[in-house]
Amino acid sequence: MSQAFFLILFIFLLIESRLPQNIYLDYSIALNAEKNIELDYPVKYFFQLDPLIWITSLISGHQWIKGFGWALGIVVLTFFFGRIFCGFICPLGTLHHMVSYIRPALKKQNMIHANQKHPSQRFKYFLLILFLMAAFLGLNLTGLLDPMAFFFRSLSLAVFPGIGTGIKELLDLAAQSDIKILNYISYGGEVLVSPVFGYGYKAFKSAWFIGILFLFILFLNRIRPRFWCRTLCPLGALLGVFARFSMLRIEKHSEKCTDCNLCLQSCQGAASPVPGQEWDASECMFCFNCFNACPENAIVFKLGWPPEVSKKPDMGRRAVLGGLLAGLSFPLLGRLDGRLHKVSDARLIRPPGSLPEKDFLKLCQRCGLCMKVCPTNAINPALTEAGMAGFWTPNLIMSQGYCEYTCTLCSGVCPTGAIRNLSGKEKIETPVRIGSAYIDRGRCLPWSGNGPCIVCEEHCPTSPKAIRLRQETTRSPDGKAVNVKLPYVDLKNCVGCGICEYKCPVKGNPAILVISAGESRSVANQILLKL
Amino acid sequence: MNYHPITRRESIKKILKISGGLALTGVITWPFQKTSLAWTGSNKKFIIEGIGQSHEYSVKVLARKVFEAAGGIQKFVSKQDVVVIKPNISWARPPYLAATTNPEVLEAVVELCQEAGAKKVRIADHTIHDARRCFAITGAGMVAKKTGADLVYPRSSLMRNMKLRGHRLDVWPVFLPLVEADKVINLPVAKVHSLSGLTLGMKNWIGAVGGRRSALHQDIHLTIVDLAQFFNPTITLIDATRIMVANGPSGGSRSDVAVSNRLILSDDPVAADAKAAGLFNFRPQDIGFIGLGEKWGLGTYEFQKLCQHKVIV
Repeated sequence: MSQAFFLILFIFLLIESRLPQNIYLDYSIALNAEKNIELDYPVKYFFQLDPLIWITSLISGHQWIKGFGWALGIVVLTFFFGRIFCGFICPLGTLHHMVSYIRPALKKQNMIHANQKHPSQRFKYFLLILFLMAAFLGLNLTGLLDPMAFFFRSLSLAVFPGIGTGIKELLDLAAQSDIKILNYISYGGEVLVSPVFGYGYKAFKSAWFIGILFLFILFLNRIRPRFWCRTLCPLGALLGVFARFSMLRIEKHSEKCTDCNLCLQSCQGAASPVPGQEWDASECMFCFNCFNACPENAIVFKLGWPPEVSKKPDMGRRAVLGGLLAGLSFPLLGRLDGRLHKVSDARLIRPPGSLPEKDFLKLCQRCGLCMKVCPTNAINPALTEAGMAGFWTPNLIMSQGYCEYTCTLCSGVCPTGAIRNLSGKEKIETPVRIGSAYIDRGRCLPWSGNGPCIVCEEHCPTSPKAIRLRQETTRSPDGKAVNVKLPYVDLKNCVGCGICEYKCPVKGNPAILVISAGESRSVANQILLKL
Repeated sequence: MNYHPITRRESIKKILKISGGLALTGVITWPFQKTSLAWTGSNKKFIIEGIGQSHEYSVKVLARKVFEAAGGIQKFVSKQDVVVIKPNISWARPPYLAATTNPEVLEAVVELCQEAGAKKVRIADHTIHDARRCFAITGAGMVAKKTGADLVYPRSSLMRNMKLRGHRLDVWPVFLPLVEADKVINLPVAKVHSLSGLTLGMKNWIGAVGGRRSALHQDIHLTIVDLAQFFNPTITLIDATRIMVANGPSGGSRSDVAVSNRLILSDDPVAADAKAAGLFNFRPQDIGFIGLGEKWGLGTYEFQKLCQHKVIV
């Protein structure tokens, strides 16, 4: 019940991470620029609930992030009741639970065998220690495998857009038909589908990989039930460490046990529920499967006071040392590409309000919330632009969308504050620059003498405009003198929003490009002496 | 559920009804439309300038008075008509920045059409910024909610390739609701534009097509005239209550805006634009598309020759 509730809540909040549907905004509100368009629901709630995100952000960013009292609550809860987060709240856990439960891949003996405790379960502690250590050295990799970030990213960047694209193609096909009834179905379908799957075709770089990874971890459930939760999940590991003093404990009555092993067959966490073995509090996800499976009532869960100390989480020295070593190496290796200390990629354009790159990498969870919420689909998971350290962090691709001048949705949804909360007024009046535009004169229509065009200037949203026109004479390719308006970029006014690049009629590789030089967040990246 | 004034079910029903109605009326009225235009052509065309002079005049009242002076909205909109209004709500800018049609004017026109017995009043524009943001910020969404008019989302499947038979454009994707309407009212805002000089009524039709719109700028005046000829609105009402005199067409600052307190209504698209050009101290013939419009027989820029009225509130 509670699992279903939280899974549905998670998906609901995921769908709500979009431009609000309320287009009937009172225009008296729109009359003053102070008012922002904000989301109707607290979409970052599940991230605030996640102690792993909280702790790593605390370690790496040295910041108490607003709203993470929830995560603290979960930690306290775990102290008293064990990993009930895994068994009752975690939406990804629920999904794995379902997948493992509905059609188990393994039969009787095989299943009993698979649910025996296995040394591979230490791997999650390795990951946990890796993430904590890396966070300590200022690189927050947690989001790569944190269940909330993983699940959100997979659903919002791969699963939903994938399904949405399929449906939209179908509807577009119907819309082109000459049969009128198909057209109505298409229009109606689009009204229904768009608010959930997004307007138009969505695109996210490397989304195919995110999707395949997601399918892969679902498939792993066929090797061992809840494979992710028991062997991979770093959050599960963290909660397992805290679960040692749990008041909610298993009580085994060996005298009633008939050695049927039904409890083991149903134990998805491989937490040794069988009477006679010592129960692993740190592995138990409190799904109560064993309790339900036991025909003899030899297993009961009881609240005991005072809390007893249970068995130590079985980390293994190798996992600890390996984790420390890997956690030490990753941040150091991640800086070897020189993007932090030498020069960053020109096309690494971060969302407006992003912290300086060093601080950004301390906090960004790569969860994809900003990418999901961006109404123009400009924000994409970075592949190489931010280096290994910044894999899947947000990056604006201006040929795919642009940063709308008054929009601040991404800054409002960032759960850890890697993108700081901006108001529309602040964004415009400061101004918050995310880069600057330059013109490629060889490709530009008027500059290359191929005809008049003022599209970049027309779309430039700043006042006064950052793209200016000057009436000049150029030569056309056949040598004739032509009098056209030539665009010039005025760096003083350019905020790097990228609408010029997006709207440029030269497609693919536009004649006006935005690079990160000039972005407000970086002192080193400034171009002009004084703005 | 304050946020969803229309449920999904309702909206589907509505859309099904609309598109059904559209298709039918479109088919039925297609042959008549041409003849009715020919009939108005035989009448003397008119141009009406509404000026708001009193200190706190109502824009809505001014819009009403202007239509009254033209003989009432009934002259243009018949009972059971599907009326599509094409405002300029291209930019997600609040109304005071004058980048978009004044929502009060829009509201007045929607109400007038409804009073004339229109079966459906629709607001349709293919916006430049994200349409949902435009609807919200320009106030068009609010107008739709208040009046019950439909706001058409410019989805890609509503762009259909059509033969424009223009001088420059042959086949181009156009925004379907505008073609399938019984009556089309053009409701632009008057602004400066860096390439075409001014954005007025005829240029508003660039916002009614899809496809590679940005390429139209390579021959802007002729493509404007082609589109104006194709869409041929029943009537044009230029919103010049406040005009953008600098940094057009997107603006972005109060300092780009001048108060003009005027509305210009005409059944001659060229004359309406010519008259509005005067507000920016342009000679009509200096604006390329106005001159071309006259040349290709869309109307005349010598608006002085038309039946002129002035309404002052």
